[in-house]
Amino acid sequence: MNTVVADPNVFQPATDKGTLHMSEPGKSKLSARKVNVHYADKQALFDVDLEIPANKVTSFIGPSGCGKSTFLRCINRMNDTIPICRVEGGIELDGTDIHDPSIDVVELRARIGMVFQKPNPFPKAIYENVAYGPKIHGMTRSKAELDELVHGALRKAGLWNEVKDRLQEPGTGLSGGQQQRLCIARAIATKPEVLLMDEPCSALDPIATAIIEELIDELRTNYTIVIVTHSMQQAARVSQRTAFFHLGNLIEEGMTEDIFSNPREKRTEDYISGRIG
Amino acid sequence: MTDATATAPTAPRTRAERDALTRKRYAAERRFRLYGMVAIGIAITALVVLLASVLGRGLPAFTQTVIRAEIFLDPEALDPAGTRDPAEIRKVLTFAYSPLITASLTSVADELAAGGAPEITPALLAGMVSEAATSQLRDYVIANPDRIGETVEFEFLTSGRIDQYVKGNITRESSEGDIRLDPAQLNAADELMALGVMERKFNWSFITGPDASENRPESAGLGVALIGSAYMMLIVLALSIPIGVATSIYLEEFAPKNWLTDVIEVNISNLAAVPSIVFGILGLTFFINFMHLPMSAPIVGGLVLTLMTLPTIIISTRAALKSVPPSIKEAALGVGASKMQAVFHHVLPLAMPGILTGSILGLAQALGETAPLLLIGMVAFVRDFPGPLPEGLFEPATALPVQIYNFTQRADPAFVERASGAIIVLLLFLLVMNTIAIILRQRFERSW
Repeated sequence: MNTVVADPNVFQPATDKGTLHMSEPGKSKLSARKVNVHYADKQALFDVDLEIPANKVTSFIGPSGCGKSTFLRCINRMNDTIPICRVEGGIELDGTDIHDPSIDVVELRARIGMVFQKPNPFPKAIYENVAYGPKIHGMTRSKAELDELVHGALRKAGLWNEVKDRLQEPGTGLSGGQQQRLCIARAIATKPEVLLMDEPCSALDPIATAIIEELIDELRTNYTIVIVTHSMQQAARVSQRTAFFHLGNLIEEGMTEDIFSNPREKRTEDYISGRIG
Repeated sequence: MTDATATAPTAPRTRAERDALTRKRYAAERRFRLYGMVAIGIAITALVVLLASVLGRGLPAFTQTVIRAEIFLDPEALDPAGTRDPAEIRKVLTFAYSPLITASLTSVADELAAGGAPEITPALLAGMVSEAATSQLRDYVIANPDRIGETVEFEFLTSGRIDQYVKGNITRESSEGDIRLDPAQLNAADELMALGVMERKFNWSFITGPDASENRPESAGLGVALIGSAYMMLIVLALSIPIGVATSIYLEEFAPKNWLTDVIEVNISNLAAVPSIVFGILGLTFFINFMHLPMSAPIVGGLVLTLMTLPTIIISTRAALKSVPPSIKEAALGVGASKMQAVFHHVLPLAMPGILTGSILGLAQALGETAPLLLIGMVAFVRDFPGPLPEGLFEPATALPVQIYNFTQRADPAFVERASGAIIVLLLFLLVMNTIAIILRQRFERSW
């Protein structure tokens, strides 16, 4: 990508972050090849191969400790921050390996946003929470531009109407569901192409969960979404593709309705029918 | 003792058995509360006893008995050159002042004799005035050279014994056989107090004045010690907080976790437990014998106290950094902040209250530290004030806790009161520092 020679007659891949996510539908946004992860001596993932299509919601399901969150954190290299964690194999984002020296990890995390299990807004004003990412990446030139970006992100996260009159109040004062939507707004403020969600609804009540699920469905037109969930109903409701992990192995992946209605593997069937996990 | 499953239940417990268990549980809780209240009671009693004894003994140190007298500042004796130049006046030693004081006291005695108190002779009065009176008057003249030639009203310090008698610390019975105290002086003191010639006044020179020798406790003050302590605190503040906080941030957030950092970590904890006198020996061998910094100087004291305070600050800062929820750092990294940005924008501000509290408590500990300072010569008798910064850092000074130690080493009972008075000053400073710590903590504290 970095070695493309500029030629006005040849189509150039857009380098503006705002348009990059308009990649061809149906093509893989992310592809993982033989990903192995070790925590010190313990191996957490074994040879995971997975294609994640653009502008679709892919859910990772599986019992606790199966490696689905570990794999999710490989995608934006969050595992780099854990000293004992070792990641092997390749993960490509739009055909470029994310461990390639030309990829800056800080840049990568702006392109691949993340929403965590527990809502974790910064203990700052709502506005500052959303503005932080664009600020550190220097994405705007003026206060007005930043305002627009922040307001837009809050609108996309479906939080605007609830917070527009109190942008300077602390984000930690919101309810759990609002906090999680604030975290989503914070993640999409850096205009990412991919949104990773690590059990985003596990700390929320059913009503807040429903709002977030609706939001995920809306967001998928603009973003490639990967969601880890413990709730199979949620996976079935929000995702187009599902991957089932068990004991560090990717057992099966495919269209969500196929996985749930007629799984190929015995272990998948056992899990979705409640016999393991 | 509260474990209900200690005996494996073979049959379900009966209702009565369960009630008995519940009662035992509540009884255990009540007992525990009682222990807690007893412990707090003991602590509060100890504190009250300590404060009462220190305040009871120390508060009188802030007042001093003086004899008021008019004195003629004879230009012939005090400024023979006639220039009124302080440098010239300094050349006149205290000997020249004695006759003036004698003359002044004689006129007081004459007045008293005329007023019906003939038993108070000039000699008796001279014995009641402090030995420091001449230097007291000389300091006044040097500070106010234009007063030479005038008759001024002056307040002479009384001797330590008379002062202690007026304050009630010694009585006629307890002073029997005291060669430094004539019972006639005590009678005279009572009379002079009644007449208003003698009175107790607030004693600024206890706070601002320099130390004084064994024979003149009435003029001993904490000035040099306060300046010495202040200079040392400046050094500790300027060195230990930046070094300590930077070390902690590096070790906690950036350093690779390997055997070397483990060794460093263990050694920092060990250093916190090293007796402070060992840091004094280090200061003596390294800063004084090897680097040839001056003895008794605040610079050496400050460096030694910095070394001593560093482990405390590092440990409390690391604890504060650790207590910040990792989710906040992850959130920052997740939106693409660099490690440094995540730490400085999010972790550090949240750890600030803890860091400040730890640092101020470390400083307070340094302020009260005595042992290492004894070894680097700050126990010396210093009467000259160290100069202004930065040269003053290299001039001899003492420190507040060392001054307290010095006062308690002296025989005169007046120093007992001064030691307690100095403790009150030290406690006040510690109180102020702790209050600042609390205020800062509340200011920076944010919930998440």
